[in-house]
Amino acid sequence: MKLPRPYVFTWLALLTLLAMTTGSAFVPLGRFNVVVNLAIALVKALLVVFVFMHVRRGSPMIRVFAVAGVLWLCLLAGLSLTDLATRG
Amino acid sequence: MTPSDLVAPVPSGAPPEARPALPHSYLTEGTTLRSWLTTTDHKRIAILYAVSITVFFFIGGAAATFMRLELATPAGDVVSAETYNKLFTMHGVIMVWFFLIPSIPATLGNFLVPLMIGARDLAFPRLNLASWYLYVGGATFTIIAMIAGGVDTGWTFYAPFSTLFSNTHVIYVLAGVFVVGFSSILTGLNFIVTIHTMRAPGVHWFRLPLFVWAQYATSAILVLATPVLAMTLILLALERIAGIGIFDPALGGDPLLFQHLFWFYSHPAVYVMVLPAMGVVSEIFACFSRNPIFGYRTMAYAIIAIAVIGFLVWGHHMFVSGQSMYAGVAFSLLSFLVAIPSAVKVFNWTATLWHGRIRYDAPMLYALGFVGLFTIGGMTGLFLAALALDVHLTDTYFVIAHFHYIMVGGSVSAYLGGIHFWWPKITGRLYSDRWARFAAILLFLGFNFTFFPQYLLGIEGMPRRYHAYPPEFQTLNVLSSAGAVILALGYLLPLIYLGWSLFRGRPAPANPWNATGLEWRTSSPPPENNFDVRPEMTEPPYAYREARLGRDIVEAREGTQ
Amino acid sequence: MSAGAIATDAPRGEPPLPVAHQFDDAAQQADAASLGMWLFLATEILFFGVLFFAYAVARARFPDAFAAASRHTNLLLGTTNTAVLLTSSFTMALAVHAAGARRMRAAALLLTLTAAIGVAFAAIKLTEYALDYRGHLVPVVNFAFDPRYAQGALLFFWLYFVTTGAHLVHLSIGVAIALTFAWRCARRAPGRLPEQVETAGLYWHFVDLVWIFLYPCLYLVART
Repeated sequence: MKLPRPYVFTWLALLTLLAMTTGSAFVPLGRFNVVVNLAIALVKALLVVFVFMHVRRGSPMIRVFAVAGVLWLCLLAGLSLTDLATRG
Repeated sequence: MTPSDLVAPVPSGAPPEARPALPHSYLTEGTTLRSWLTTTDHKRIAILYAVSITVFFFIGGAAATFMRLELATPAGDVVSAETYNKLFTMHGVIMVWFFLIPSIPATLGNFLVPLMIGARDLAFPRLNLASWYLYVGGATFTIIAMIAGGVDTGWTFYAPFSTLFSNTHVIYVLAGVFVVGFSSILTGLNFIVTIHTMRAPGVHWFRLPLFVWAQYATSAILVLATPVLAMTLILLALERIAGIGIFDPALGGDPLLFQHLFWFYSHPAVYVMVLPAMGVVSEIFACFSRNPIFGYRTMAYAIIAIAVIGFLVWGHHMFVSGQSMYAGVAFSLLSFLVAIPSAVKVFNWTATLWHGRIRYDAPMLYALGFVGLFTIGGMTGLFLAALALDVHLTDTYFVIAHFHYIMVGGSVSAYLGGIHFWWPKITGRLYSDRWARFAAILLFLGFNFTFFPQYLLGIEGMPRRYHAYPPEFQTLNVLSSAGAVILALGYLLPLIYLGWSLFRGRPAPANPWNATGLEWRTSSPPPENNFDVRPEMTEPPYAYREARLGRDIVEAREGTQ
Repeated sequence: MSAGAIATDAPRGEPPLPVAHQFDDAAQQADAASLGMWLFLATEILFFGVLFFAYAVARARFPDAFAAASRHTNLLLGTTNTAVLLTSSFTMALAVHAAGARRMRAAALLLTLTAAIGVAFAAIKLTEYALDYRGHLVPVVNFAFDPRYAQGALLFFWLYFVTTGAHLVHLSIGVAIALTFAWRCARRAPGRLPEQVETAGLYWHFVDLVWIFLYPCLYLVART
């Protein structure tokens, strides 16, 4: 069976990103290590969501649900931080 | 052939034997216990829930009875302090998770949502049955906890008491709530998918009854908030079992982290308890004033606004917990904000009555009661949202009165109003007007006698969750306990006359109230597949002013069209 | 048919798709299934999200202890496992594609392969747990750590076991689902299977997504 190219490229990209994130952990960037790792994780996640999960196919409500889940988590974290991050 | 012709009217003076048996319907499709316990029919599942939550309502009520008995005298002489702690914990746990949260959504919602949108069932009928079994499973854990001696942490399970110090069977209750949480999540998921994908031809979003809008918003809350509770309960249980301190300050944890996680769910949960009630009230107000709901779109937007803003205010439960002052200010401002769409709804209900031809049948009495009591409860919420006032009022009977006005005066009234409104549709029977109206008034009076004194007690400083109190509080407490007797009577009466109607009630026509809505276009009770002919919606919602619906309700109920 | 389009009508020559009584047609049924699964995944985001939030709070509280603790995780096994799981997402995507093209035998093989890779992940994880046990990193059971960082490290490893444990439970469910559908693809006519395999695939990819974020949080805190 001929392998669909988008999937193959995505898989290779994911493995490359994995190598990058692991590698970057050995580079002393101080606080930016966290940023780099999270950014790479986000890119990986978006690849999986857009290519493997076909989020752009189907009803627009799918995208609303996906965004809502993430957004609500941000509300939990964000508003809690108004307390946790500012306690004297 | 009009819908009312589906059941031939029988003169009410006829002897019982002359009354025809109920026609073929979802109730007559299989009469074995097994057919009920393995049903995937949303209407039967609704009834399974109704029976279950009624049982738990009275268990929770029994706990409250003992509490009010204790509080009739200042001394702690009926039960010990520990037992009292267990009573209010079980009262809270049962009433919140095993009565109020499922009440309207799982009974009226399950029954009516498919009917109101013209569908044959929910999107996932087997998942619906699974939801009920999850409810029963969760309830079982909770009963086990009760029998094993109860839990004394309060329904809020605050750490570190629940994790380090309580000697009761906390884990059983945590398991029970965890399991019943998934019941809610699956129900919410089912409703959302159903409303999105299965509306009949012509059923556009802005033609949906406000009851459906309310169920949709409620389902969104259930789906987004409950998973957070689920994980939080797991963390609590792990901390209790394994003693690792994510909530324990001695081990570097934070008890307030628990409170943030807990209230992130539990505040939106109160909107789960009130939004469906608001949906019911809109349906009843329109029908019994023969007017369309004033400002339909605004009402729909207000429902969404309440659901969304309701997620942003949870910190108002934590004003005196030691949380940061900045968080306090943020949550206080946001809490004031949520009052706006709620108030808009009250204004619009009031405007709906303007130039209406109002009939004071039992459903309308309950709905009117909702609006008045919800307004009082809601306004006192504003008092509590003010930081400076909350310092004095928090953890007093003022808070208890506030939330009982909304949850009992509001939601339970609306639940009963909905039961009375749709009883003919669900059971195919009519009930006694007079007894129903009497019970509604009794409930209203009993409720106010029970809970208004508690506002005063709170202002005077009586703390909650104490089984004994200083003697100067006795008068108001006695008044409250006496009111509770009347309230209890108000709850017991419907059991009697509604139960009676199941056996001796007159058969109901398809549309005894001459109401709009697709559910009234099918027989009472509906056939298993809901509609013999697939309905199509061709008019705006609440078309009560249209000439052909101008006929009186009485004529419709007597079947003399 | 474009690559990966969901088939909601049976192609010519095949019997019509079975449609449950509550739905009007196959398209509505497929729509509902897809929406239902995405909505369920949204709930899972919030479910796991609490753990990530708790992690963030604890790490902000104990930055040095978390760094020290993270260095004790097994980077080789963790990284290998990440590659393994990413590959399983690849094979699952291929399985969904095959089912959509009605190549049911290929789909069955790919689903089985996906499940096998999932089992491999679990095996590596359990091996890692055994090594963690040997290294006295299991809270309550035999935890022992540098006293300077013990409090924070305990929290780290507790979160490590809870998050990876919850992940493993979800992975196991995914494996069971994949095997079930592999069996059905091998034995039955396509029918609704393309749509159902797509829905199952969504769940599998979600399990992968959780791990994508878990990996840097647990293994890469301070490797310099």
